[in-house]
Amino acid sequence: MSGSAQSYHAHAHTSNSTTNSTSNNDNSSGKTMRRLGSASMFLFLILAAVVTLFPIYMALLNSVKTQGEMLTNILALPTTLEFGNYADAFRKTDYMRSLWNTVVVAAVGLAGIILFASMAGYKLSRTPGKLSSFLFGLFVMSTLIPFHSIMITLVRISSDMGLQGSAVGLGLLYIGLGVAVAIFLYHGFVKSVPKELDEAAVIDGCGEFKLYFVVILPLLLPITATIAILNMLWMWNDFLLPLLILTDFKSYTLLLSTNMLFGEYNNDWSAILASLVLAMLPVIVLYLLLQKYILHGISEGAIKS
Amino acid sequence: MMTTRTRKLKPSAMLLLFVLPALAFYCAFTLAPAIGGIWYSLTDWNGLNPAYRMVGFSNYVEAMGDRFFLKSLWFTFKFVAFMLVLQNAIAILLALFIEAMGRSRVWFRTIFFMPNMLSLIIGGFMWMFIFTRVFPYLADQTGWLLLDESWIGDPKYSFFSILALSLWGGVGYLMVIYIAALQGVPKTLKEAASIDGAGAFTLFRHVTLPMIYPALTIGVFLTLNSSFKVFDAVYSLTGGGPGRSTQVIAINIFEEAFSFSNRYGYASAKAMILFGIVMIITIIQLAVMKRREVRA
Amino acid sequence: MKRALHLLLTLTMVIAVLAACSSGNNGNGANNGAKPTTGGSPTSEVKTTEPPKKVELKVFMSFPRFKDQFEQYFAQFKEKQLAEKNIDVTIQLEMPNADQAKQILQSRLSSGDAPDLYTLHANDIPTYYDAGYVADLTGQPFVGKLYEAVTETVKYDGKVAALPLESLSWGYLYNKTIFKEQGLTPPQTLDEMKAVTEKLQAAGIKPFLLAFQESWIPQLMMALSLGGTVSSAHPDWITKMNEGTASYADVRSVFDIIDIIMANGTDKPFETGNEAGSAEFANGNAAMWVQGSWNAETILKVNPDMDFGVAPLPVSNNPADAMINLATSTSLALSPTSENKEVALDLLNYILDDKDSSALFEELKFNPIATVHQYEVFPWVNEASAYVSEGKAYLDLKLPNGVTDETAKLLQSYYIKDVTQDDIIAALDKVWQTAVKSN
Repeated sequence: MSGSAQSYHAHAHTSNSTTNSTSNNDNSSGKTMRRLGSASMFLFLILAAVVTLFPIYMALLNSVKTQGEMLTNILALPTTLEFGNYADAFRKTDYMRSLWNTVVVAAVGLAGIILFASMAGYKLSRTPGKLSSFLFGLFVMSTLIPFHSIMITLVRISSDMGLQGSAVGLGLLYIGLGVAVAIFLYHGFVKSVPKELDEAAVIDGCGEFKLYFVVILPLLLPITATIAILNMLWMWNDFLLPLLILTDFKSYTLLLSTNMLFGEYNNDWSAILASLVLAMLPVIVLYLLLQKYILHGISEGAIKS
Repeated sequence: MMTTRTRKLKPSAMLLLFVLPALAFYCAFTLAPAIGGIWYSLTDWNGLNPAYRMVGFSNYVEAMGDRFFLKSLWFTFKFVAFMLVLQNAIAILLALFIEAMGRSRVWFRTIFFMPNMLSLIIGGFMWMFIFTRVFPYLADQTGWLLLDESWIGDPKYSFFSILALSLWGGVGYLMVIYIAALQGVPKTLKEAASIDGAGAFTLFRHVTLPMIYPALTIGVFLTLNSSFKVFDAVYSLTGGGPGRSTQVIAINIFEEAFSFSNRYGYASAKAMILFGIVMIITIIQLAVMKRREVRA
Repeated sequence: MKRALHLLLTLTMVIAVLAACSSGNNGNGANNGAKPTTGGSPTSEVKTTEPPKKVELKVFMSFPRFKDQFEQYFAQFKEKQLAEKNIDVTIQLEMPNADQAKQILQSRLSSGDAPDLYTLHANDIPTYYDAGYVADLTGQPFVGKLYEAVTETVKYDGKVAALPLESLSWGYLYNKTIFKEQGLTPPQTLDEMKAVTEKLQAAGIKPFLLAFQESWIPQLMMALSLGGTVSSAHPDWITKMNEGTASYADVRSVFDIIDIIMANGTDKPFETGNEAGSAEFANGNAAMWVQGSWNAETILKVNPDMDFGVAPLPVSNNPADAMINLATSTSLALSPTSENKEVALDLLNYILDDKDSSALFEELKFNPIATVHQYEVFPWVNEASAYVSEGKAYLDLKLPNGVTDETAKLLQSYYIKDVTQDDIIAALDKVWQTAVKSN
């Protein structure tokens, strides 16, 4: 993972120097044109960046103002920092519990998806024959089914199974919903793992499961990281399924708590903005820490599927 | 004889053993609901009452004459069309420009992708603040009347609010994909073309674009897939309202099933129609793009 | 029906009389009224040597605007339970906004995850009771304290099904200061209303406040115009609708007043929720608002000096048709599946507590509904009662489940001209028939 991310940057530098060297060959008017072009591109990007960050900046800025100060000048920097909004939002969204619930959902879902999908993807890829391709086709087929087409019955099924209302239950549902795409990704990746390894291990007297856990699973790490990132983002930010499944507000995820606070305090923007910042916080921190891997994982995942 | 039989049996048994856990979850929470959805779409099940009757295709017939459902279909199609063009165009533009930058590229990439990390529920509430509080304030200060329109309440404008929010949240994802594709374009090719005196646009049109065609397929596919199912952006900004004027298919189905009327059977029929549409469009699109890719 | 109306009429009279009396000796009345008979002393013999029993209650109320008040009241209850019964109650209070509440509640009830106590509209009691989601509360101590007429509104099948919280006589609200300045009195006919709006417009005042973001508020226009029209000119309309022999087309005139209101309203209604609307109304941004007096607390919180009145909404050119709506709306029900029925019942009864209830209801600016409510009646209630005593009142219509919600959506669409009157008529007729058939 980290190796490929590094090469990514090295690559960026070389491409840069080549453009510079080629521009040396141009006549001077071409040069100024190119400079001008480059400058306007830069300007455009700056503008786009401002638009992109504007809502986040406004949320941050006004979340530390009193309601009164917000009304008088929405763009100005706050005169005093009103952290009471955060205390309010923290309490009203039951932040720690919501955060914990979100972590539980994502952890259960992620563990299940990675374990079960890698097992299935590996075996399906290694086993030739009709049964194998039938099963693989069965999984792949479902990637076309839109979630909204199955949600009504899914809610019914989960309520019959007693999964409704619990964070763990929701995590289990995510396994069933996420496993197909993950199998597809593992299936493709396993092809690049040399078969000789399996055979060598079998000759060594390694059982099938031991082979998988000890030899194969570690080799799947790159694609596992991609799958983990994709699924983590999906489960963390999913709204509709938790809305339908988590009927008990003690099991609300961060997103649901934030949505509830928004409904309850419709007009109290300082509390709402503070709650939005709190809800964003874990994701933004994670993103800034791991962005290399996340960006890599995203493009990997998209291209492979 | 014995040994060959066990040998023959063993791989498929092993296969099943490895696939079983995934298959069980998959059947319970994806396959069964899909099949159940087809079944319920033929009934008048109301969600609460355990008893229901088969009603044949009457739910489908009703849906085809349901003006609000048809309107939500139309609204969704319009949204998808705008997203398809704008999201991909902006993402390619950003990717091209960023690739032309020096050290700042890392910063730009980080910034543009950031909204993608956030749920559109959170993003929607933030944009709601911009549309309903910041814009009127700016309009007051600058006298720029366009900012003072009802960006959330007037369906003429709220379509674009929803679009803006969706682009804000979605462009970064495609941009990352296009950047990756652009980096795969051999430098020698570009250099050769520019020495031949090709302008920036011709360079893009005849050299870069054909090379990133596979990425374009992915981009179009992802956009189609996500914008047909758009829910969060609409839910958080307008809730589908005022009335039902900004309802997309997903909101219409959600409301039919889980709001007051609880007509699960009828809502299932609508859900199946959505399934059918997504299926057809995906197949057509994949076929077309594949053919063009080959030609290019 | 007739009997209930009669009872409600007498009730409002009684309240008016009580108001006159209590305002005289109000100074010490409040103290005398709080009878300390059921205070903590007799039962608190239970010495707290053993650790208190922990109980958790889930309470679901569609009152986000009263969250602070109820949280405080429940905190009092918690203390009381601990002192009297050595039970440590934790109350999980959830208050989604009115538009979302019904959907959330229904999904919980149907998934068997019912809150112990929850609010519902009194008109929905039959549906919920038949589905088995409402416990019988007959014989509970609070029942004896309720005014009989109010009790009638929450009875179904001869049983008390819920504790009423809001019992109202309501119409639209008007800004008395603006009306006085412009020399206006509340209009009783459509023509008078037109004249009033023209005069206000000429004076540069917006006649109506429109707060349509939450769809239940525009819906109030239809509740009043349909209520007035049906109760005056088409008394058998509901019966005929249920038989399938009538249509909304028969009462098409309900749109007359709605058109006037929509044509004379404030801007950006869909960005104005109840809180924002209350603030605008309190600050005099419009002269009238089709909104019930249940919103008094929210309005007065913004501007305590706001002087507003309640008037019946004109629906025709006959002044006798402009009538006050008598309704019990939000009521508190107990789920029969509650695992802590004892404590839940204690909490329910505590809402009409001899000592503390009066202060709560006064703070919420609710109408008094029980003998324990000793506070001075609010002026707007008296104003409404004056119409009621003239016989200008009717009982809130009982529409089938789902019709009110559909009306709410359609009226939003009507404002943005997304649907026509004919579309609304067709859609509501259909929802009505679907609802009747499914019962």
